[in-house]
Amino acid sequence: MKDFGQLQKDLARVALGDRSAFARVYQATSAHLFAVALRILNRRDVAEDVLLESFVSVWKHAGGYQASAGEPMTWLISIVRNRALDVVRSASTRHETTRSLAADGGEADIPDERPSPLQLLTQATDSLAIRGCMEALDASHRQCLALAYYQGMSHSQVAAHMRAPLGSVKAWVRRGLERLKACMENG
Amino acid sequence: MNYDRSDLLDRLASEYVLGTLRGGARRRFATLLTILPSARAAVEQWEHQLALLASSLPPVEPPPRAWAAIQSRIGSRLVARAVPRSWWSALWKPAVGFAFGAVLTFALVRLMPEAFVSLDGLAQREQALPQSYVGLLLDGEDAPALVVSSTRHGKRVTVKFLRPITVPAGKVIQVWALPREGAAFALGVASATKPPGSTSFGMTSSSETLLSKVARLAVSFEDAPAQPGTVPQPFIASGPCVKLW
Repeated sequence: MKDFGQLQKDLARVALGDRSAFARVYQATSAHLFAVALRILNRRDVAEDVLLESFVSVWKHAGGYQASAGEPMTWLISIVRNRALDVVRSASTRHETTRSLAADGGEADIPDERPSPLQLLTQATDSLAIRGCMEALDASHRQCLALAYYQGMSHSQVAAHMRAPLGSVKAWVRRGLERLKACMENG
Repeated sequence: MNYDRSDLLDRLASEYVLGTLRGGARRRFATLLTILPSARAAVEQWEHQLALLASSLPPVEPPPRAWAAIQSRIGSRLVARAVPRSWWSALWKPAVGFAFGAVLTFALVRLMPEAFVSLDGLAQREQALPQSYVGLLLDGEDAPALVVSSTRHGKRVTVKFLRPITVPAGKVIQVWALPREGAAFALGVASATKPPGSTSFGMTSSSETLLSKVARLAVSFEDAPAQPGTVPQPFIASGPCVKLW
């Protein structure tokens, strides 16, 4: 996906206050990270804010990345997802975000032809060569996982979206996660 | 809730990363992350696995104003510092600041000498500092570059960066302990950190075990974390290691 080695070096430079390395990190990752935020928030202006706060945080805490020694994209995606989920959880519930999206019209022009969460999950598992393994799982279980991951939905939002009982949705999400882990660990 | 059960911990970590763990349960788990390394490790594992799912999202270019906004947030201080109005304004501001500070200190010492030299004050400060091993490492210009510290019975070393250290590509910052007798041994690797930030790493044993006979600490650039028997590269900073008790 990205040149992890180069990103790692650039983040190490960012930890030392190197602004050109920071620009390279932004160049290499912002479109991907913006997509992550936009999927969860459904609004360009709010997603831009999340991107802004995330990159300010990267600038301030790049030293913290090195200590954790994970892959740089994992670290960056976690920062952006956590911030986006915080926004969804706090003032604007998902319901309000969606409603204001409709009200704003032009500002939040998210194309309708974008792939569905389940399609995204299928593509991702395909490229990880675990699609077959994941498809042993009921489609509704995969759908729950996809809605929670890509759209940042809570259990009750997934339940409402799928018109399924909350208890079932909780169990399906759990099974989806367990299956994902087993598939990734066993190839 | 019994967090010792690793399967429960793993499940909570997975739902925490996914985002479906909410409310009080989320807050409790977030607190747990700061104190329980196994919870932190489970979260990192899940962050890695779930981040792979994001690869299928079609990238969306943010508008140019997004980068401009980020730059203005992080850059204003740097720009202001880089472009002084004139050469003398860069000179007189620190000079005035220093003079003011000197006058203030002089006045305070004259007015309240007990605040600076009282035995009570000293005793309190001493009590506030935990029993620790501390090294102040000077660089090639004899300037304080790093403070390396560890509590007496702890296994973690904190490295505070006082000056920027530029790590050559592909190298790591290796921290060494130099005993009064015998060969130097590796303590661990410190991540390069922007001053005045700190980083930390774990040691194989407690400070008391490893450092009680160590006279000096030093750092060098190595190709990889040093293994037992590795001969250190030239030190870029070194200094005495003392007991704080």
